[in-house]
Amino acid sequence: MEREIVIPGQFLSDNKNDSGPGTYVKDGKVYSLLYGVKNAKNKISVIPFSGKYIPSPRDYVIGTVIEITPSNWIFDIGSPYDGLLHVSEYPRRVEQDKMAELMDFGSSALLRVKDVNSSMKVELTMKERGLRALKVGRVIEVTPAKVPRIIGHGGSMVSMLKKETDCDIFVGQNGRIWIRGKDGKMDLLTEAIKLIMKHSHTSGLTDRISQFLENGIDVVSEKDETVLENDLAEDTEDESEIQEDTYRKVDALLDDDN
Amino acid sequence: MGNEVMSVLKKDYIYNLMLKGKRADGRAFDEIRDIDLRTNVIDKAEGSAWIKLGGTELLVGIKLQVGSPFPDSEGEGVIITSMELNPIASPDFEAGPPKEDAIEMARVTDRGIRESGAIDLSKLCITEGEEVWIVFIDIHVLNNEGNIQDAASLAAIAALMTTTIPGEREGRGEDMPMPIRDMPVSVSLVDIGGEVMVDPDLDEEAVCDSRLTIVSNQDGSISGMQKSGDGALNDEKLLKAVSLACKKASELRETHLLNI
Amino acid sequence: MSDKPEKFIDENGLRLDGRRIDEIRPMKMEIGVLSRADGSCYLEWGKNKVLAAVYGPRELHPRRLQKADSVLIRYRYNMAAFSVEDRIRPGPSRRSTEISKVSREAFEPVVLTHLYPGAVIDVFAEVLQADAGTRTAAINAASVALADAGIPMKGLISACAVGKVDGQLVLDLNKPEDNYGDADIPMALTSDGEITLLQMDGDVTQEEFKKAIEMCKEGCRQILEIQKETLKNKFTKLDEVDISDEDEDVDISTIVESTLEPSEDEETEDQDEGSDEYQDDGSAEEDENEDDSVSEDEEEDNEDDLIEDSEESIKRIDEDDPDDEEDDA
Repeated sequence: MEREIVIPGQFLSDNKNDSGPGTYVKDGKVYSLLYGVKNAKNKISVIPFSGKYIPSPRDYVIGTVIEITPSNWIFDIGSPYDGLLHVSEYPRRVEQDKMAELMDFGSSALLRVKDVNSSMKVELTMKERGLRALKVGRVIEVTPAKVPRIIGHGGSMVSMLKKETDCDIFVGQNGRIWIRGKDGKMDLLTEAIKLIMKHSHTSGLTDRISQFLENGIDVVSEKDETVLENDLAEDTEDESEIQEDTYRKVDALLDDDN
Repeated sequence: MGNEVMSVLKKDYIYNLMLKGKRADGRAFDEIRDIDLRTNVIDKAEGSAWIKLGGTELLVGIKLQVGSPFPDSEGEGVIITSMELNPIASPDFEAGPPKEDAIEMARVTDRGIRESGAIDLSKLCITEGEEVWIVFIDIHVLNNEGNIQDAASLAAIAALMTTTIPGEREGRGEDMPMPIRDMPVSVSLVDIGGEVMVDPDLDEEAVCDSRLTIVSNQDGSISGMQKSGDGALNDEKLLKAVSLACKKASELRETHLLNI
Repeated sequence: MSDKPEKFIDENGLRLDGRRIDEIRPMKMEIGVLSRADGSCYLEWGKNKVLAAVYGPRELHPRRLQKADSVLIRYRYNMAAFSVEDRIRPGPSRRSTEISKVSREAFEPVVLTHLYPGAVIDVFAEVLQADAGTRTAAINAASVALADAGIPMKGLISACAVGKVDGQLVLDLNKPEDNYGDADIPMALTSDGEITLLQMDGDVTQEEFKKAIEMCKEGCRQILEIQKETLKNKFTKLDEVDISDEDEDVDISTIVESTLEPSEDEETEDQDEGSDEYQDDGSAEEDENEDDSVSEDEEEDNEDDLIEDSEESIKRIDEDDPDDEEDDA
């Protein structure tokens, strides 16, 4: 399987029939629309490195309530388009004046996209198994384009993460990941997810992340040390202790200090 | 988009960490994020500094112009400090004239420098009552990950320390270094549910009850303070914060300014 | 300020800064430099220092600005107060407003605007240090920042100016050439060589203009190479660029679904997407009892929308693309 980093406008093929997602055809030739990785399986597609989440019907998402209207909760779903959850899409009957009691500003929820119309009005539903308001746990945000990496081949990554950390994990396709477990485990899991993001383009990631979780050793980064060109500013700690400060009135005079 | 509504889960998370004496990025309550400070980064400016405080990045450029003194201080130069919260720095910033946050931070920075007497303004007088040097301190914010205030004031004093007054270019005698007499350093703290922590990051700023900035000088004196946010502080907490801020300011000065 | 030099080009055909007439100033770029932006690029070109960032596509707030069938592109060219010899007042000027407009229009032909109806893509270009050619520098950085943000484009935009000094055309004006030259022609080009920005002031013959286009194309070709390298190098630092088998045509929804069930799911052994063994463990649900009704609602529709979700948004791209004559085999 051929893989290569491509950029917008890059020539990919002479055969217009090769044009897959993330590409376009001009004068019978195929070019890339995106900055990402070329995937030449069957057709040629380009998987972008980044990009905003654009809702599609049946997507699972995690949203945060940003507004409550008389009949809808409006959710920020990490997209240019907010999502509407109509009261009738809540799992049970809700009186309008009780809406805020169930989910108020800032509440998070697991939701599914029910429909998206041509002007990008996004309708959400909570009427499916497992969908619910989230009262505990944490939400981590990642680049939506990298969600497949968190999930892994056939779900292998997410299963491994669950197993190693004993946490519940729900990966929203909008790049928000809900986790719940013991505090220490959630910290570890958060670290692991950060590592996956950082090294999402490398191979054998599942095994390396698994090692990280077992040993707490960042074998992932050791391998790709160059990524970690952190600007390691010198530690500012404990250079000197100064004597107890004398509090002084701030004087209006400009020259009070010399 | 933006942080207009912060998720309750996140608020709870930060609050619960605080109860355990922890912060999301693993710092201690009195720990300032890593700082990378570089001076003389803009040749076109008379003095400049780029700072990265954690993820917060900004540039301070110093420009000098010949102008008139204020009528009530005819023998002294003039300091003008402005801050631009450029929309490049955050999804929450909008283009347009500076809003109250930017103005407040610029003024707090300005007061720290002015009131500490960090610049000997009398040396910026060219002809008394007629011509003085006007010092423009322009703070250009590039990336907001919290606590722009402290990044701005540290970079501002660093930029001033590297400033050359362009006497020759302006036909006003020889070039001379900026007459610096003190190094005011600001340290900001936030109060989250009763605990005080220094150098707030973005989330901590968003959840805090109130925020306190203290500008202190080499001798430990204080030359500027600002409380903002809708919470209230008691005097015990305040005094503790002041003492901590002065200690941290001294450390910052030692590490980042004294070698300039 | 410096006076006009007597000669801009010496007897060896070299310019004041030692360049040949068809040589661009050294350029370097770095992407992904700002954590808050969706895409960003820092560029140094000669003594120019420019930072460009892209936010979006994102929600556009005053609703009346929204375009029903496409995304709005906004471009803001802004100079830092200290970026030039004489301090400039912060905020927009007539000059920066004009530059912002033509720069935005330089990108409009290549960005697939119909994909994000009603939303906005904001491009911010901050000139931190100016030294002739800032608008073209900003465009070169913005182009890479757009790619970094994952914005679908038919190609990158590259920009460069040609000017005239000592009666000769020169590529990529430096400061004295810009200040005292006889002409300045900034252009932006697509990777196909189509012109998306053109301005000109000064005095050139039609013959010279024709040659200027050729020179500009050559300059932009070189710049495009630097842009490409910048984008590709982000990852070649790592010896491998291999997403391997982790993003195949799997149905993400199905897998997500398998993680969904439960908070009742204490069974961590379920390795496979197919595993449907969930145990009801009500105790784990204590704090969420008002959601209990959710799990009782069993209306799973399990027909699998294979191959769809992960790439749905991109799929839309090629479905909607007018240039796409894809013929399903």
